[in-house]
Amino acid sequence: MKFILPISLVVATAALMVLGLFIGGQARGTVGIAAGSAVYTPKADNAEQALKNLLADVQRRNWDRALAAVSKSSATDKESFIQEWTGSNGSLRSFSALEGFESRPLHITPDEAQIRVRLHWATPVGPLEDVRDFRLIREGDVWKTVLPKIQVPNVPAQVIPVTYLRWDLVSGGAADEWGSRNVDAPHVRIISMNAVDSAEGAVVMGEIVNEDTVPAFVNVNATLVDSAGSAIDDETSFDKINHVLLPKQVSPYRIDFPNISLKNVKSVRMDEKATLVPASADPVIGVMNQKIESDVQGKSVLHGDLFNQSGQTVNISHVIVSFYDNNAKVIWVADGYEDHALLPQSSEPFAVEIPKSVAPKVQNFHVVVDQYSLGRS
Amino acid sequence: MSTVRSYSNPIPILAIVLVALAVHGPLLLMQLPSGSFDANFHMFFASHYAHHWFNPWNEKWFGGFSQTTYPPLTHQWIALLSNVAGLKMAYMLVQLIAVLLLPVGVFRFARIWVDDRAASYAALGSIFLGSLAFLVYQAGQLATVSSVALYLNALPYFYEWMTEARGKSLIKGIAISLAAAAAHHVTLIFGVVLFAGPVLWVALLDARDERVSGSVSGVLSRAVVFAVAVGAGVGLVLLPYWLAIIQHPIHQIPIPHDSRANFLLNSTTAVNYFVIPYGALILALPFILFRGAASSRLRPLLIGFWLTLIFGLGGTTPLPRWLLGRAFEILTFERFTFWATLLAMPILGTLAIELLDRFQSKAAVALSLAAVSTVGAALWWLNANPFRPTATTNVQPVIAFLNRDGHDAYRYITLGFGSELSKVSIYTSAGSVDGDYNSARLLPEMTHYGSAQLTNAKFYGSAGMASLRAMLEHANRYGLKYIFVHDTYYEPLLTFVGYRKIETFGSGEITAWSKDDVPPAHKIESDAIPPPWQGLLWGILPIGVSFLAIFLELLLPERRRVPAAAGVPVRAENPERHFVA
Repeated sequence: MKFILPISLVVATAALMVLGLFIGGQARGTVGIAAGSAVYTPKADNAEQALKNLLADVQRRNWDRALAAVSKSSATDKESFIQEWTGSNGSLRSFSALEGFESRPLHITPDEAQIRVRLHWATPVGPLEDVRDFRLIREGDVWKTVLPKIQVPNVPAQVIPVTYLRWDLVSGGAADEWGSRNVDAPHVRIISMNAVDSAEGAVVMGEIVNEDTVPAFVNVNATLVDSAGSAIDDETSFDKINHVLLPKQVSPYRIDFPNISLKNVKSVRMDEKATLVPASADPVIGVMNQKIESDVQGKSVLHGDLFNQSGQTVNISHVIVSFYDNNAKVIWVADGYEDHALLPQSSEPFAVEIPKSVAPKVQNFHVVVDQYSLGRS
Repeated sequence: MSTVRSYSNPIPILAIVLVALAVHGPLLLMQLPSGSFDANFHMFFASHYAHHWFNPWNEKWFGGFSQTTYPPLTHQWIALLSNVAGLKMAYMLVQLIAVLLLPVGVFRFARIWVDDRAASYAALGSIFLGSLAFLVYQAGQLATVSSVALYLNALPYFYEWMTEARGKSLIKGIAISLAAAAAHHVTLIFGVVLFAGPVLWVALLDARDERVSGSVSGVLSRAVVFAVAVGAGVGLVLLPYWLAIIQHPIHQIPIPHDSRANFLLNSTTAVNYFVIPYGALILALPFILFRGAASSRLRPLLIGFWLTLIFGLGGTTPLPRWLLGRAFEILTFERFTFWATLLAMPILGTLAIELLDRFQSKAAVALSLAAVSTVGAALWWLNANPFRPTATTNVQPVIAFLNRDGHDAYRYITLGFGSELSKVSIYTSAGSVDGDYNSARLLPEMTHYGSAQLTNAKFYGSAGMASLRAMLEHANRYGLKYIFVHDTYYEPLLTFVGYRKIETFGSGEITAWSKDDVPPAHKIESDAIPPPWQGLLWGILPIGVSFLAIFLELLLPERRRVPAAAGVPVRAENPERHFVA
């Protein structure tokens, strides 16, 4: 017993630790913290494993180890590699953390492989997905990833004249925090409303206009009412609206009621709230080259470019699109966040997916862009 | 007294307590734990008891929650002491009492297994444990430390009652066990298996080998009596807790915690949860294994230690997941490492005296260095580890804002405040929908996403941000008008969902955001509000058993113990002979 028990305990511990590597998976840890290195990393003796190791090191921000998994034939350097994964200029990517990924081989030969990866990002505005194709080659007995040259945007030095409109608000008293209560609220109006059932539940959507000559902060609430006149649920437009509307500006809105069917709904009570707020027309973001196309997976997607006409960086852009049928009725509202910053006088592509059930009916669309700029909230 | 002779005697327990006071007293007086993860949480609970002793319903977190979901003893003691020392110093005093009780408990627990001399070195070593420093100064697990300190003091009575059938031991053992349960229920639940299990086992061995007067059947029957009495007592003392947990079992989506991770896949986690808590004890692991196995009396302790060590490794092995099932996703495992180090102390005590006997002063120097470097590394790690709580933020402007101009008519949340959230909650009259105690949450926006506090949402990735989004979507429903931001990470979301920056505090360190169309908060109806009789029970019994335990210790003093089990430490080469009567 003197030796059998300790040896048994040591063997049992070792066996359990080995089992732990293969059973139960890796417990989810917190993100956003430099999490150290793995004591054990599987050898990159196949293409998928090599890519998994690379992305695991990217997740943990172990840049040296990640770069060691990149082929020397890649046209990238450490700085641009890090910038590619961590973002720059206060973009959404720079706030994001790679939370997970799923890989699917597209094409594999003994010396070369093409793998498609769905990257799951945790971002301040919610989860985002990104699909990327990676090329890997065999170098000796390990596989390495070949990365293309990363284009770092470069804005030339220039002077941008600023002639935008701006509305300041002189607060009437100390009790006013933001928004003014001692003047009439701006006049806003819901100009269309449509309620539909979707896979996730009921959706109420439409458009709202600021009919006033001053900017307005708007919010749209909807209450679903049953046949007995009782409220079933009430929700707000949340981030599916451009909350600050300049005079005469129109914004789409969408209000989701998860797990509720319109079958049980007798009516919808709409309630728009408006408050006078200071606002600025700058930065002006132009929407260019809009067109609906099918992507490689056969999904209908509205593509286009956002062009920053101002002289300041727009860190995060939020595209909200209302889609109309041939009767000019809003049949869907979709949105998307751009993970790259919009530098002055430069453009970035955007894409917003259209649900399969809606895509055939779409005749027209209207794009508005909301934005976040560091230090200007 | 010569040097050699001084090493050959047990260290007086008073001297050990004074060493504990000398090591931890200044650190606690400097309020080092105030930056730990849970210190503010404990003070928040205590603050509520200080103001509403008999009403455990607290509306400052989660729109309202019951404090009967957490055993109250340490919080109630802080509340009592806060009347004379202030809240923060009262916390430090209660923590200090627990830290002083711990070596006493280790000494008494160790005497079940080894002689007085080894036990005294075990107790001395427990003061310098990295795991103790980790729990006190980094994790702020006041209740765990207090409970185990009490529990270790109760177990010798359990052993004495089983083997000697002493009524005094039964009464005192039960009283201290109930006080331990009133401090932390989880410690008692797992302590039954990990601490009391080996004690029962060794009592049976002692009875079988006639080292004690009791028979095997007598030991077993008395163990049942003790267990039934403690079980019934815990059932009564913590009755509101059990009723709350039965009414609202924890069905939340599991919240990730790094102590459940596989340490082999993450070096930082391994350092945080293994290297730092064990410290120099790692070097003694082979000795613990071989010496524990060499003696039949120490084998139960070794098995208990090994099982606890495996649990402390979290997700590194699948055993805890297999044995605990869903509870694996609810528990955190750093406490198991603490318990494992405590279970190792009696064997470590024998190592200490063997080294001292053989190498005298050289061993004393080496052991001292090992002890000091272990606790020193744990204190250094407070600032070096990437999991450290955020640096202290001046939250006074936030408190002042909420307490003026009727702002407390609305609810608020903080973002990026870490454990400072509790500090804001203590001193403001406004309520929050967030909170720092996961088990008490009932709002679906908190329980359905697998993340903990909203203030730390980003650290839980998409789950955390989804929970925050869900809460912000229902801002109007909960009267959630104000948000205080200490991390620009959250600003884009707030901007896009319609909040506007209204004030800046501390040179921009904290910003206040508001949404104008939010109506004032109204009371959220809940079926979790404890009835008045539960409040009365909660306010009387837990603190009552602690007073009872103190009085019993004073009124029924322990008679001077004649070492029965061992005169010298168990030797590997003649393990059995030593104990033959």
